[in-house]
Amino acid sequence: MEKYRSKLLIAFSVFFLIFGITFFSLGKELKQKWIFLNPEGAIKVEPTKLNLHPPSLEGKTVVLRWNGKHNGDKFLERVGELLKEKVKDIKIIKSWEVAPETVDPITGSQERSEEFARTIAKFKPDIVIAAQSD
Amino acid sequence: MTISSSEFVSLAKDTAIGKGASDMSFVVVPHPMGMVSLKEIREKAERVFPLILKEATEWKPEAKLPTPKPIYPAPKMTFEGTIEEFNRYLMDKGFSLGLPVLPPTPERVERMLKGTKRKPNELLGMVPPRMGALTIELVAIHAAMAGCKPEYMPLLIAILEGLLDPRANWRGIQTTTATSSILVIINGPIIYELGVASRQGAAGSGHHVNASIGYAINLIGEVVGGSRPPSPDKSLLGGPGDFVAWVFGENQLALPKGWEPYHVDRGFKKEDNVVTVMGIYPPVDNIDHWSMNPEEHLIWWSYLVTPLLSIGGPCWISQMDQPHLIALGPEHAQLIAGAGWSKKQFRDAFWEKARIPFSAWPKGCPNIDLLIKRLGPVSPNTPIPITLRPEELHIVIAGGAGKHSHFFAPFPGCFPISKMIHN
Repeated sequence: MEKYRSKLLIAFSVFFLIFGITFFSLGKELKQKWIFLNPEGAIKVEPTKLNLHPPSLEGKTVVLRWNGKHNGDKFLERVGELLKEKVKDIKIIKSWEVAPETVDPITGSQERSEEFARTIAKFKPDIVIAAQSD
Repeated sequence: MTISSSEFVSLAKDTAIGKGASDMSFVVVPHPMGMVSLKEIREKAERVFPLILKEATEWKPEAKLPTPKPIYPAPKMTFEGTIEEFNRYLMDKGFSLGLPVLPPTPERVERMLKGTKRKPNELLGMVPPRMGALTIELVAIHAAMAGCKPEYMPLLIAILEGLLDPRANWRGIQTTTATSSILVIINGPIIYELGVASRQGAAGSGHHVNASIGYAINLIGEVVGGSRPPSPDKSLLGGPGDFVAWVFGENQLALPKGWEPYHVDRGFKKEDNVVTVMGIYPPVDNIDHWSMNPEEHLIWWSYLVTPLLSIGGPCWISQMDQPHLIALGPEHAQLIAGAGWSKKQFRDAFWEKARIPFSAWPKGCPNIDLLIKRLGPVSPNTPIPITLRPEELHIVIAGGAGKHSHFFAPFPGCFPISKMIHN
């Protein structure tokens, strides 16, 4: 009898242990170790060589480049006026007057961006000052 | 030297970095520059002029590009937690869009790679603006995260090849202030082989191929391309198209007699499996329950032209050279074809009818002189077409039963790109 009682006690203990764990973990998600692959990908960019700016703008050619966004031309007009006032023998070229096809926000197109850069380069500027954004 | 408003300088810098110029010369002007008075904009120029002069003469380049890392294989990462915590972690790391994803475990990615014969280390291209190197393995990772099946891989790869074509202008779609998104049209027998939705509600919910592919595209754009708001994704409002791209098959079974499917118009054979991608603005819905012939139906289309001005429209003339998409509902297509009209006839009549009087153009449009140069002399009443040539109006049969059609204007600089789907 004593033997059966201890077996019964063990069986009940095991049952309540399993039931208890199940009951208390209901509604709780199990933690686990996730092994996964990084979805970001490596950056792959070729460096672009940038030209030095001239130490002085005297006698230099400056192209003012407007992309068509509202007021960019007005802003650059004023910059051009101030440059003429402050810098001796400066030549100002307004892109929208000499190359109206470049009045375009491009909005991301690298092809058009490079096409416009080539157009502007034909005016042989020492520096290009571009105004953009909204 | 670039002058940028304070709100957009981070985008300008990210764009320069994406082109390998990590140290361009910038001058920042307090936002905004647009829609302020002449007096105010001139004062802004005067205030930053000393800085402009200093940058113009003193700036020196200092190349500081990040040390390149191998593009393959994707590094393994670990995280301990529940699935919910794991998703939260991915979002915090910028590895998800905020919607749940399936964990891209090595086993799941391996299964996904079985759906293509392409090598996992093959580089498809760089996703702008971050210029993340997109390998086939990385496509499989995102396909796994979006819940795609392995057999969708060739379709997804063809879509990405289209988006990576510079003429698709993925960079523009990813960084603009507009509510732009990606549109994908699928043609050919693959529609039936794969179960691509092409009829009722094709671009909506409940279609596994369309939905999971549309989700994977945007995951790649945002995670690999780094296009996260508020910068470099500058979308002012954003929209559902930022989560799941528009993906539908042309309803080829509803093509009127004598009308060819869209991919045949694009130069492919009927039996080819083709995907066409395009950067778009949200569509305009033509709700026409009443027309009894094509002429009446075209009047409804003409009413829809005015709202097109507000979605960018012809303010920049380059957009008038871009193809626009008329997604005709099958019932509208039958109305037109039932009167004996060919697709070309409808396209040409649409081009003639859907016009805006010159006087309705916004006053600030910068390209008016160029428009006059292209179209000839105009008076205030001159009707101006949506595109400069009728050929720039593309037609696809889309959706199921009902009295709706849709017009998708392209995002500036975005041209439709069609690619064959190869197994």
